Amino acid sequence: MSKVARRTTKKTTAKLAARPSVSTRASKVPISNPTKPLFPSGFTKGEMIDYYERMAPILLPHLRGRALTLKRYPNGSDKLFFFEKNCPSHRPDWVETVRVVGRSADSTNDHCNITTRDGLRWVANLAAIELHVPLGKADKPDVAGAVAFDLDPGPGVSLIDCARLGIRMRDMLANIGLQCFAKTSGGKGFHLYVPLNGSTTFAQTKAFANMVAVTLAKDDPQRITASMSKADRPKRIFIDWSQNDRHKTTVCVYSIRARQTPSVSSPLTWDELEEAIAGKDEASIRFDAGAMLKRVERVGDLFKPVLTLKQKLPA
Amino acid sequence: MPKASSARPIWTGSISFGLVTIPIKLYTAVREHRIAFRSLHDQDQVPLKQKMVCPADGKEVHPEHIVKGYEVEKDHFVIIQKSDLEAIAPKASKAIEIQDFVDLDQIDPMYFDRPYYVAPKPEGAKPYKLLMEAMVKTKKVGIASIVMHNKQYLAALRPLDDALCLETMHFDDEVIPSNSLPDLHQKTKVDDRELKIAQQLIESLTTEFKPEKYKDEYRERVMELIERKSKGQKIVNRPERESTTPRKANDLIAALEASLAKTKTAITASRTPRRRKSA
Repeated sequence: MSKVARRTTKKTTAKLAARPSVSTRASKVPISNPTKPLFPSGFTKGEMIDYYERMAPILLPHLRGRALTLKRYPNGSDKLFFFEKNCPSHRPDWVETVRVVGRSADSTNDHCNITTRDGLRWVANLAAIELHVPLGKADKPDVAGAVAFDLDPGPGVSLIDCARLGIRMRDMLANIGLQCFAKTSGGKGFHLYVPLNGSTTFAQTKAFANMVAVTLAKDDPQRITASMSKADRPKRIFIDWSQNDRHKTTVCVYSIRARQTPSVSSPLTWDELEEAIAGKDEASIRFDAGAMLKRVERVGDLFKPVLTLKQKLPA
Repeated sequence: MPKASSARPIWTGSISFGLVTIPIKLYTAVREHRIAFRSLHDQDQVPLKQKMVCPADGKEVHPEHIVKGYEVEKDHFVIIQKSDLEAIAPKASKAIEIQDFVDLDQIDPMYFDRPYYVAPKPEGAKPYKLLMEAMVKTKKVGIASIVMHNKQYLAALRPLDDALCLETMHFDDEVIPSNSLPDLHQKTKVDDRELKIAQQLIESLTTEFKPEKYKDEYRERVMELIERKSKGQKIVNRPERESTTPRKANDLIAALEASLAKTKTAITASRTPRRRKSA
């Protein structure tokens, strides 16, 4: 190991003394390097494991039955990462897996299916900062549990601009009888979910999402694009509708994002969004791991309807 | 005949023959009219790009990790580095060396690959003209070797109207002999009467070769189609698709547009709702 790395570890050990929440729960899952800082802000691996464990009651329903893809950052959130679809072969035997057929029929992946608090602890200990899940469950790979729109702001567009578009989309969808729910991506943009929880297929959700995005982009081409083309992005919000695909994953609600600080993909109420827009207050709708732990004690799981509300797309 | 490109020469150097050196430039003589299509995603018309992917793990391999290998036998490769090739590359000679003169009709057209125009540099005008006229008088073409872009070519140099033309050629071992074809050497007899009729037919169809007479009609039809499409004219070629799904989609788009228009009157009353005509 390099000198630099050793020095950093020492520094954080000192810092850590002042921090209360490091995972101390008795568990069969051993933890390695809890004092190792995983984020430039100093947030450690131990603190991250603690976050995921304490979030378990709220987070697990959003993971259960889904083919989890791990985005692992073994050396920290600003260092090299890799996506891991296959559940690592050294997994304990109690970690469940689900088999998913890839784009070509002969390629399969056995993903982790995380159903327990210990499972979360184990995954977090792999330095899997980000948890990515598909919109459907593994046992019904063609069925989409929800329609998702990823509102991705291009250069020169703020999170507040995205929030405004989110409100318009909420109203637009309401006019055709659909309720939707918003979360921050934890990064720059917004995710909008239309719960379905029926038998709607990805073929249907993708076509629908495309039409919604294209309709909006045609209406306001100066500020919205439905095209992935980089040239169209500056000063516009890209409505990414293409994630409505059985092979695509989106960052799971309540997942930490690998950024400077441990920001969280946070569900929001529409009131919170409207207030943030009125006050042009981006900070009020951004939550990091610590803030999220306090927040869920107060508001519970705002994203629960995404798993339970049954809706149908207009034919 | 297409005009010689007035653009930049693709190669400059000199023709050497005997003790004479003629400074010249090469220009493209043939431009193919290929219609290029790009591959797009059918859902949003984003142009697609290709990635090199390792089939072992499905991950993308970036250019810095790609090396060239020659498959000596199945699954056994010899890795050839760029530097290996550079070391044995033909010397970047700037000379077209005429080695022999032959009769043009001794060269089967099969050997010809790509034609280029040879134009003299100002200081080479006189020997250029001299070489050309001597070739016209003797009715001979020069066989030369030339190195372009690190590759060695065989070429024929011949007068064409009032310019010299350099035609790159295939090496002999690149040309496949016709005796390797099946069914060519069956013993069959040709009937004299039939042969006469066939000869007569050929004679009655014989005319002068006028290249401008022949057009790439398929290409013209494709260009026409593109033109019509780009003007927004609908191409009706798919009756079976017209009737089913799109109608439904149109209904939904109309519903989405209407619902979007409603949000505007409700929220941003200042902006006049722009509604598109029916989709």
